[in-house]
Parts: sequence; structure tokens; C-alpha cells
Amino acid sequence: MSHFLDRLSYLREKVQTFSDGHGITTNENRAWEDSYRKRWQHDKVVRSTHGVNCTGSCSWKVYVKGGIVTWETQQTDYPRTRPDLPNHEPRGCSRGASYSWYLYSANRVKYPLVRSRLVKLWREARATMTPVAAWKSIVEDPQKRDAYTKKRGLGGFVRAGWEEVNEMIASANAYTVKTHGPDRVIGFSPIPAMSMVSYAAGSRYLSLMGGVCMSFYDWYCDLPPSSPQTWGEQTDVPESADWYNSGFLILWGSNVPQTRTPDAHFYTEVRYRGAKSVVICPDYSEASKFADLWVSVKQGTDAALGMAMGHVILKEFHVDRQVDYFTDYVKRYTDMPMLVRLVRDDKGNLIPERFLRASDMDKKLGEKNNPEWKTLAIDAPTGEIVVPNGSVGFRWGETGKWNLDAKRADGKAVDLRLSLAGAEDGFEDVAFPYFGNLQHEHFTSTEHDSVLARRIPVKKVQTAEGEMLVATVYDLFLANYGVDRGFGGDNVAKSFDDDAPYSPAWAEKITGVPRDQIITVAREFALNAEKTNGRSMIIIGAAMNHWYHMDMNYRSAINMLVMCGCVGQSGGGWSHYVGQEKLRPQSGWLPLAFGLDWGRPPRQQNSTSFFYAHTDQWRYETMEVKDILSPTAPAGPWDGAIIDYNIRAERMGWLPSAPQLETNPLEVARAAEAAGMEAKDYVAKGLKDGDLKLSCEDPDNPKNWPRNLFVWRSNLLGSSGKGHEYFLKHLLGTSHGVLGKDLGPEGKTRAKDVVWHEKAPEGKLDLLVTLDFRMSTTAVYSDIVLPTATWYEKNDLNTSDMHPFIHPLTAAVDPIWESRSDWDIYKGLARAFSDVAPEVLGVEKDVVLTPILHDTPGEIAQPFDVKDWKTGDIEPIPGKTMPQVTVVERDYPNLYKRFTALGPLMEKIGNGGKGMAWNTEHEVELLRELNGTVTEEGPTKGMAKIETAIDACEVLLMLAPETNGEVAVKAWESLAKFTGREHAHLALPKEDEKIRFRDVVAQPRKIISSPIWSGLESEKVCYNAGYTNVHEFIPWRTLTGRQQLYQDHLWMRAFGEGLCVYRPPVDLRTIKPAQGSVGSNGEKEVVLNFITPHQKWGIHSTYTDNLLMLTLSRGGPCVWISERDARQAGIVDNDWIELYNVNGAISARAVVSQRVKEGMCMMYHAQEKIVNTPGSEITGQRGGIHNSVTRAILKPTHMIGGYAQLSYGFNYYGTVGANRDEFVVVRKMARVDWMDDEADPQSNQAPQAAE
Amino acid sequence: MKTLKALSALLAYPSPELQQAIPDIRDLLASEGVLDTRARNALAPLLERLASTDIYEAQEAYILLFDRSRSLSLHLFEHVHGESRDRGQAMVDLLTLYEEAGFTIAANELPDFVPLFLEYCATRPSAEACGLLSQPAHIFVSLAERLQKRESDYAPIFSILVALASEKPQAEAFEAILPDGEEDPNDLEALDAIWEEEEVLFGPGAANEDCGVDSLAAKLRQARRPAPGLETPQMLGPRTEIVHRQRNPSAGPTAR
Repeated sequence: MSHFLDRLSYLREKVQTFSDGHGITTNENRAWEDSYRKRWQHDKVVRSTHGVNCTGSCSWKVYVKGGIVTWETQQTDYPRTRPDLPNHEPRGCSRGASYSWYLYSANRVKYPLVRSRLVKLWREARATMTPVAAWKSIVEDPQKRDAYTKKRGLGGFVRAGWEEVNEMIASANAYTVKTHGPDRVIGFSPIPAMSMVSYAAGSRYLSLMGGVCMSFYDWYCDLPPSSPQTWGEQTDVPESADWYNSGFLILWGSNVPQTRTPDAHFYTEVRYRGAKSVVICPDYSEASKFADLWVSVKQGTDAALGMAMGHVILKEFHVDRQVDYFTDYVKRYTDMPMLVRLVRDDKGNLIPERFLRASDMDKKLGEKNNPEWKTLAIDAPTGEIVVPNGSVGFRWGETGKWNLDAKRADGKAVDLRLSLAGAEDGFEDVAFPYFGNLQHEHFTSTEHDSVLARRIPVKKVQTAEGEMLVATVYDLFLANYGVDRGFGGDNVAKSFDDDAPYSPAWAEKITGVPRDQIITVAREFALNAEKTNGRSMIIIGAAMNHWYHMDMNYRSAINMLVMCGCVGQSGGGWSHYVGQEKLRPQSGWLPLAFGLDWGRPPRQQNSTSFFYAHTDQWRYETMEVKDILSPTAPAGPWDGAIIDYNIRAERMGWLPSAPQLETNPLEVARAAEAAGMEAKDYVAKGLKDGDLKLSCEDPDNPKNWPRNLFVWRSNLLGSSGKGHEYFLKHLLGTSHGVLGKDLGPEGKTRAKDVVWHEKAPEGKLDLLVTLDFRMSTTAVYSDIVLPTATWYEKNDLNTSDMHPFIHPLTAAVDPIWESRSDWDIYKGLARAFSDVAPEVLGVEKDVVLTPILHDTPGEIAQPFDVKDWKTGDIEPIPGKTMPQVTVVERDYPNLYKRFTALGPLMEKIGNGGKGMAWNTEHEVELLRELNGTVTEEGPTKGMAKIETAIDACEVLLMLAPETNGEVAVKAWESLAKFTGREHAHLALPKEDEKIRFRDVVAQPRKIISSPIWSGLESEKVCYNAGYTNVHEFIPWRTLTGRQQLYQDHLWMRAFGEGLCVYRPPVDLRTIKPAQGSVGSNGEKEVVLNFITPHQKWGIHSTYTDNLLMLTLSRGGPCVWISERDARQAGIVDNDWIELYNVNGAISARAVVSQRVKEGMCMMYHAQEKIVNTPGSEITGQRGGIHNSVTRAILKPTHMIGGYAQLSYGFNYYGTVGANRDEFVVVRKMARVDWMDDEADPQSNQAPQAAE
Repeated sequence: MKTLKALSALLAYPSPELQQAIPDIRDLLASEGVLDTRARNALAPLLERLASTDIYEAQEAYILLFDRSRSLSLHLFEHVHGESRDRGQAMVDLLTLYEEAGFTIAANELPDFVPLFLEYCATRPSAEACGLLSQPAHIFVSLAERLQKRESDYAPIFSILVALASEKPQAEAFEAILPDGEEDPNDLEALDAIWEEEEVLFGPGAANEDCGVDSLAAKLRQARRPAPGLETPQMLGPRTEIVHRQRNPSAGPTAR
């Protein structure tokens, strides 16, 4: 019988077992799996990043579920790189991955907070008075003012509503503008690149008011002044991907895996490709593990090492054997062929003076335009002295010759002579300063003379002043290195084993690095560059820039790169990745950020000089001018205190001043009008007569105090405030831990230009406002704390120098609790200000003083000597011998309207950057269409709106050449007028590309090549700084138009830095006075160098108070010391120790490690006193932060201005806050006091900050 | 249970409105009768202080306690999840609970904010409310202890919540609570706990704990210890004495 009908044709019975019984199908409940599914379910993924001041700039996916941010992961959608180059992802480190919790952390500031004593006074006054009058009644009554200012940092906050705090702050601002002047309203915020609109919100508010924006890059001491000195550029570096193109990498004081985590993979990858890696670092850092050779240099002596390596390279690759590539490179791209005048000083020494200029010569060599600013060289074939194209004199006042073509001004081709040897008129012994013989208790010195004469070939030249000796920079440069060229004479090294500066044997003594290591590294570095046409790279870190003589450390490294032709070549060059975080669409952002659409110029101040003066650190200055003056200094008034030099610089228009004058600038405008004079003439006359006084001459006079301070996106007091305790004492006027006394009567005699008051003021600020999402140290000390949105709650943009992409922060969720985005906070303040201002302010004229600015035609102001109008040597002429004076109209009642609309100057004047200018009418028109126009009646009707943060993003994206191809083409065309060369081809392929906010939300976008930056973003090369200078023959923006290795300004020569030399760390004299005054606690003491690197368990310098990070580190402040030093002081790992010197004290736990070099201790940056910090035995105050033992010291060479590349620019040049020359006494604490008593109102020993 | 609403109000940021409502709260607590006399007496100092002190002082004190001290946070999950990823999911779950009962959050607050949670409980029938209270009871116990240590008059609220909870917290529940930081340095045990090494466990059940923040940290610390045989610096003399200025000398410091 057939089974046909029994057989199933269409169905199959579910089998219970399969695979011979190895498998079984069951039917049980699988609901348990849902909990896993649910765990990873989410409603949306939003792109954002961490707008922290870290170069990472990593795009993240933020997961949101039920309106709550639940976790984040790295984005992996960066545009691909070209074949044979690794991709950028994954970007993002463990620190970023721990961020999502911060949104909901108990540490978050949830509501606007006000000091209760202040709000009580305010409400009382406000009950009967108008807003501005109410504020006036509080701050003009000393008792009322003290009631809250003396309590700063001591708790006592209550919540308040937005309306109320906005009105308070706006009233304080309006009162200050009216009573003291808009230049007394100050704002500090760093690193705009990381959240540029948030930065711009505050700076726009301040700038429209006439307030002052403070610089950060110089203050953080991340700005390497050697970069503006050499290249006329703030900092421009290769992107991290370019490491992969390198053949030889030196990591010098940079801890890449720890501080540049998302980029470290390029470093790893290029090693697989065969690149050699040398790490120069005193401690066995994370980066040292990357090294083929780890060079453990004595901290602070890097310049000695760099000079010795340079010595080897010059000897072997320039003298004993010439490398064509190197010779051609230095001839064309550096100042080495330029001629320098040699003059005899009163001791008969022949000293290198300034560059020979066309104006020195008969008939000025035919140069009518700026002959004082055109440097000269000798044409080798003809032997003629010629004016080669490209010097700064060609940049301004004429067109077409500012380029690096091998041509002279008359169009003939040239071949410049590098060395005069062979064409010399004779040989002379020229004097070079030597500082390596300065005694320092903790650094090795040598016995060489202070003045070292070395023989070089010279030429006699007929100048307008008569016959003169000249030499080329090349010959001076080689002589300075002590390289023996066979010219005879002393002070050259016969061999590498000869102990003459700067031989390897000499360096071995100073740096502790064996000479064979020095020789090997130098030789291989140069050999690689020779074989690859410059693919040797130095990645350099803040570690070297934070020393007082950072310029020497840096220039010694830059010199190595330049002599090997590495700058501007793929895989080569100088990679300083510290703290500037390239704001790529900079020129589109500037108008938004500084209100340039409404009024120009903005007020910008260099922070280091400001804080030095206004936290009264100058009153404690232990360093004297004679400590740093060169033994070959020309005769001059090298007297006075360090602050006097800053005052002279401000007076001569070199550095900015805030506040600027004792008189309110609104009053100055009125007085000038009344006198029927132009403001600039009125100010010049007033200064000369003494009717007007510069504020800088008397920083302690209440007339010159800064009054209102905004801090946002920053932890000024907890992290970057060098001289922390001085901030507390003098600027804030609250409890402090300053241990030393000021100079007293001695200060009075030392000061020449500054007014000395017997008693220094305490509490200069009327109001300190901080915007933050966390209760930072700065917030704790503030009068008002405003809760900001976190990085997952706002819209903004982010760029970095490490990669070429622009990508956004976007709001994954709305700001929780009462927080608001920075844009909305300042917009709210602008509205409140416009509401209260009419009580005292209308449309006003504001007289703005600005220094002589770099990249403007004015930068060629003072070609030769330094002349101070105050001494009567010269007339005060605005913009020439003193600050520029401009009148800017402020419409105070309409400040809000101006804040929220793109003003008329963009169409009237246009936009530009770095000396270039272009028309923006088309862009403004597009913005009207894109953002919509203001329809409300009033002064802004018909203008493009900037209501939201996204509107603001669109404005800057539209205006910037980096994000709008059309503008890029216009910018290159503008540059072409200067250079006489065609450049637009670099952007034409992208002319139609306009990157908009929604585009970068969809995917990070690569920026468009623009002349604002010196590298290209193309399909062929990675971004590399100086690339267009080398390949497009665009001059560097220096005096000579070339990479300038000789600094000929008078102050440079006076302070011994015409050429790079080794200078030991300065003795700050902070130990002995403190050891004298602080009693013993019975424990042994050891004196160590105090180093503050960036850390692993902190979000850069922003925060560490995240339990994950605290748990993974020591969970509170800690200081790393070496085993030997620990043993000597009787300290074991994890002991509570105290560090002190005259500046203050820190309590922390000891980490005892073999990793640390003997003689130094390391405290990672930005460990705040809000977590786990006991009281100091010495100060009686809570713990202190890493900056409690530091104090800023200024360097006169950083104040130079009005001199081509040595002219002021915001965050470009200026004094920097060096802090690594500091020493501390380290000892075990005998008693750890947690200060957990109730505050005793009578005592100063209150529980501070940490509560 | 309006009593819970009253307790919710007492835990909110002090406002003049709350000050004026204190008599009403007092009446309600008496009339509803959920709390016995002892409990009401325990609350009396808080009520008295809120009603009579200067509002600014009351607000300053509140901020110092609840906004600035992490270990006293009024956000429940701060104490059990801290920074861990689980916190987000826990909040989502709690939000779902409110939504299932027909509520959405009107204030700009997180779902685990104690006054918000209590307000929700107050809308539920007593039995359910007491059941809900028992879930975070271990957190309430800890908060009560921590507040008592600081001699805060807010402490009784949490003791009362524990008493109202239908089930008392299990001993093991406390293990989930993050230690009381070092914000209260009087508590030497808690201080030490942070530095303590945990025993590394293997086998069933150990996996859950293995990825906890603290155990990871302990493992890292463990890894940092020198291997046997390596020379280590010898202990040099007695360890630093840790002294805490005590309000109550009887619970005096211990030298180590």
C-alpha cells in the first residue's frame, strides 16, 4: 500500500532533535533576553563631542533613551583618508567615554547660585531703588561690599532665578561702564576652537559693551613665543596623520599616548613602517615606552641638548660635508644669507647688531617704499649687495614682490651667498653671550667665560653712517654653535669630546645625557632628513615651553629642523600640540566673537601681564633685570623692575592695556569733543602733558582696578591661575595662603615707572561671575555661579590642530535643571543689559586704545632703536610710538539687538585675516536668506538674524574660507595681490562647496585649504605647517620674510637672545625665605623642582572629580617623587606630604616611583582642592592647588612690539606664564587635618572651598 | 498618603511658601495619623527651624547639605549607580513607572529625585506606597545615618521613610551603596574603605561584582603592588598621624 496520502507534501513536522541528537529544539520562554535587548535599546543617537580644552576633538555618538542620555560611543564615520594612510578613527579616549554621567552628577551646578549676603543686600536695595542705583548703593558702601567679597570661597550660596541674576549682573556691568569705564568689565575664556560659539557668546557680549576679552594661550604658557619670533605665526603644526609620513620622530617633552590619546595610533603605525623613534623626557613617561632610544635629560636643560645636537648636525652636514638639499633650503627659506651689522661696544667687543637694511645704503638701493624694512644679502655670482624679495617692507605699501622667488627687487634672478668665507674682507672675533656659567644650586654650570669670542669672515660695507662690518646670519649662526670651521680663534670645539660650548661633551655635563647618545640622535635625525628631503619631525610638548627660558628650548629644536630642511615638508617639521587647538574657521568666527560686524577694534588683553599686575604678583618679584640681562647688552636704560618693562611696552604701543587709562574712556571721548580735538590727538596730548595717565603705571589705584570679571568655559582659579594664592589675596580679597611678604621698601626703590603703594589692595573685583556646569574651584570663589549646559546639551562647533575635520556639538537632550547654553546665557544678559542700561547709558562714544598689531600695515612702526616718548626722546604718535587710538560707537540700549543681528560693517568694510581682506557682500546676503532677517522695527531691521546658537554657527561657517569655498578663492586671490603669484588653484576645485551646520551634524567635514593657514588639505598631502611657504613661495610673516633664526630687535640682543643659547633655569629665590619663616614639623625636608604635566586621569585640565578617574588614580591630590628623594625625606608611598615655598603650600599624597627623575617632583595639572584635600599645616587653609606654589614671572623679550613679527596679536605674542623654574620644599605632614569643624566666624581658619 | 507629600515638601529647596506652609504640614501630620507621636516629635526641630529661621540661612544650609555634598545627594541613583552606565537605564525604568501610572514629569528634574519620588508615592494607595518605599529603603537608611552624623535635622525624614516602608532593607542591599566618600572625614571606616583592597573572587556570582568601579580599582591597585622579591622602600618610622577635629571628643581619633 502506498504511503502517498500519509506523506506530507507541504508541511514538515517540527523535529525535536537534529544533528543526530546533538541538537534539540525547545519551546521555552525567551523573555529573559529582553533585558539584554532593552539594555542596548535607544531612541536616538546624537553626534556631539567634549568641548574640553584637549586637542582630541573626537566625534562621539551619544545615546538617548526616554529623554535621558544613557551612554556614548566613538563615532566611526570620519571621511576616509587616501590609500596608504591609516584612517583617523577610532578617536576618543576612556576619559571622554566617562562623560555621560556628568550630566546627572551630584557635582553639577543645577540652579543659578548667588552668595546669600549679596542677594540679600540686592533685594533690600532693589525694593526701593532702580537696578543700577541698587548696585551702586551696594558697592559704594565699603561695609556692604566687604560683606560678600570677604566671604568668597567660604560657601554661603543660595539659589536665585534667572531674571534676578541677569538683572544683577547687567546692573553691575552698566554701573561699571558708567562709573569706571567699559574697560573695567573683563572676561576670561580659553580655547575657542573647542566650542567656538560658546566662547563667542561671551566675547560678543563683552565686545559690544566695550569690555575686555582676555587671552589664554600665552597665560597658559602653551604659546611658544619662539613660533611668532621665527615664523610670524602663533602656532601652526602638522596634523597627527602627517606623523605617518615621517621617517624619524623625536618626541621631546611630549607624552603622546597620555595626552594625545586618539592620535597616538599614527605614531604606533609609522613605527611599523620603519620610522625611528627617540623620546626625550626626564621621567620614564608613557611615551618613553614608544622609544627606540629614551633620552633621559635633566629637566630644564633641553636647550643644552638641542644646541649640542645642532652642533653635531652643523659640523657633519654643513661644514665637513655639504648636503645640497640642506644648503638650498637654508638659502631660500631662512634668513641665513641676510647681512647683519657688527658694532663695537664700549669694551671693544665686536657685537652682532641689527640686520643691514636698504635704508642704510647709498640711495637706499633704489627702494622708495619701506627701505627701513628691507633686509639685504649678497648675490653670489655678482658679489653685489641686493634686496631680495619677500621681506616685510615688500608686504605693505606695494604689491607683487612679497614672495620667496629667488629674485631681487628689480626682478633679476639671485643666488644668495650663505657664507662670506671665500669672499670675505677679513676675519674678526665676534662676541657671543654665554649663560651656562651662571650658578644655580640645582643645575650644573660650567667655567666658561660670559663673553665668548669666535672668529668669522666679515665684509666691509659703505653705509650712510660710513664704513661698517657685516656678516651673514649663516656665519654668525655656525659660530654661535661653537663649530670649528678652520678659521682659527678660540671657543670652538676641536672635536665632539672637546668641552667647549656647545659640543656633545659640554652638553653631557649639563644635561646628564651621554655624548654618544647626543651624537647618534643628531646624526640619524639629519641623515634621515637628507635621504627623504626633510621627513624628520620633532613632536614637542608644553613640558619644554613652561620654563622661563622656553624660547631657547624651542629655538634649539627649531634650528635643528631648519638646518635639515624639515619645516614645510610632509612628515617633517615642528609639532607643538599644546593648548591652541587650531580654530580652523577663525576668520569667519572673529566677527561673530568680537562684534566686528558692529565696531572695530575690540578690546583684547594679554592675560599674563594683566594678572601679574592685578593680582599684585609684581609686588613679590624676586627676579631682577640684572639676573637675565646679557653680558653683551648694548648700553641702555636696563634699570627698574620687571613690571617697569611691561609698562614701557604698553606705553610704546607694544602690549595692550586694560584698563587703559585712569579716566573712563567714555569721558575721554566727551572731553575730546569738548576740546574740539580728534580723540587720538587729544589722548596723545593728554599723555604728554600728564592730564591723562595710563592705568598700567598704577595698578593698585582703585581708579585702575578691574571691577567685573566673567569666567566661562574655564577654571581660572582651580587650574590655570599661576600664583593662585595671590589671586585670592589681591584680586578677590579673601582668605589666602601667601607665605611670603611683598618687597616693601625695596620694591619702592626698585620700581622706576610703577607707583608703589605701602599697602596693597585686597579685593579689587566688585563682582566675579562664573559660568560652569560643575562646581569648580572658580565657581566656589565666585559671587554668582550660572549653570551652563553640558556638551551634550548644546549646539556648537569643534575643530583641532590634530586633524582636518570640523564637527559639531549638538543637543542630545535639553539642558536639565535650570541650566542654559552659554549662547542663551549671554543672550539673556544682553537683553537684561539693554533693559537696565538706559538708566545711566545711551549711545556713547568709547575711546579704544590698541597696541600696534601684527599682520597690519602698522606692524612696521619702529624699525631701529627703542624710543620711549615718556623720556622725551620722541613725540607720542598714536599707532607709531604709542598705542593706536580709535573711537567706537556703543549703542548700550540696543546691545541686545546688536547681539542678535549681523551688523552692517561686514558689508561696508568686509572681512579678512592675517593681513588679507576680501568682500563679504554675497555671504551676508546668503545669511539673510539662510537665517532670516530681523523684522522688528529698530536699528537692526533687515539684517541677518543671529538668534540661536545654530544661527551663530551658520554665520561663522559662511564667512570662513575654510568652510566656504567661494570665500577661500577670494582669500587666495587677495593673497595673490601681495605675492604676485597665482594661488587660487588651491581652492578652485572646492569653490562651490559650502559647509553648513547640518552637514557637519551628518558627518565631520574636511576643511578647505585657505591662506589663513600655511598647510594644505588636499588629496595628496596631509596638513603640514609651512607647506605653502615652501611650495607656493609665500613668505613667512617675519621681518626678513623667511624663517628667522636671528632676532635683531634691541631688546632681544640686550637679553642675549639674538641667537639661540643655553640658559639655565632662573633662580626664583622662593625657598630660603620660606624655610626661614616656616617652622619645622619635625620631619626631614627635601628641595625639589616642581613640574606640572598633564595627566591621565583628568579630562585634560578641566576636571578630575569623576569617581572613575579618582578611583583609577589616587583619588585626590598626589605628587610623584623619586624613590631616592623619598628615602632621603623619610617619605613612603601614599604618605600625606606638604610642598611649600614663599608662594604658598599644597597638601597631597606622595606617589613614590622609580619612574621619576631624582631632583624633581611632578604634580599633575588641575587637581582641585574640592576633593579629598586636607588643610595645610603651614597656611592653615585648605590644601592648595598645583598653582599655589607658583607665581608668574614676565620676560621682557616677550613684550616687544611694533616690529614686524614681534608685534602684538591676541594669543599670538606677549608675556607668558612660565612656572617650571619653581622649586618646593617637600616634607611629610605630621598631622592631617580635614578641617571639618564649623566655620568660626571670628577666625580666618575657615573650612575653605571644599565643604 | 498626604504625609508623604508633606515629607516631599520638606525635602524641597526651602522657600518662603514652604515656611508659611509649616503649620499646615504640622496639622496634616497630626490629623492623618500616619506618623506616631515619636516620629512627629523627631520632625519638630526641622519644622521649627524651617518656620522660624531666616530663609537665606535655611537655603544656604540646604545647598551645603544636598547640592554640594555628593554623599547626601537627593538623587537616589547617585548612591547606588554613581557614575556607572547603569544609572541611565535605571532612570529610564523609573520614568516608565511614573508614566504607566499616568504621570509625566513637569519639573525640570530627574526621575530619581527623592521629593519627586515621594510625591509619586503619595498618589498611590497606602499599601502600594509603602511597598514602593521599601525599594530604596537601604538608601534612606544610609542617608539617615549620614545626616545624623552631621547632626542634621533632616535625618528624621529618612528614618521615618524607612519605618514606613513595608519591608526592611536586606543586609546585602547595603553593599550596593557607594561609600560615604571622604566628605565626612569623621568616618574613618568609610575613609579606609576607599583604600581597602577587595578580595578577588572567582566562580558563580563573582562576575557581577567584577566590573564594579571599586573592584576594578582594587585590581588596578593590586596590579601596582611590587612583585614578590622586588626591593621595596622600607617603612620609615610611624605612619603619619591622622587627626580629625571632633565635635564629640569621646569618638576621638585613632592613631595608626
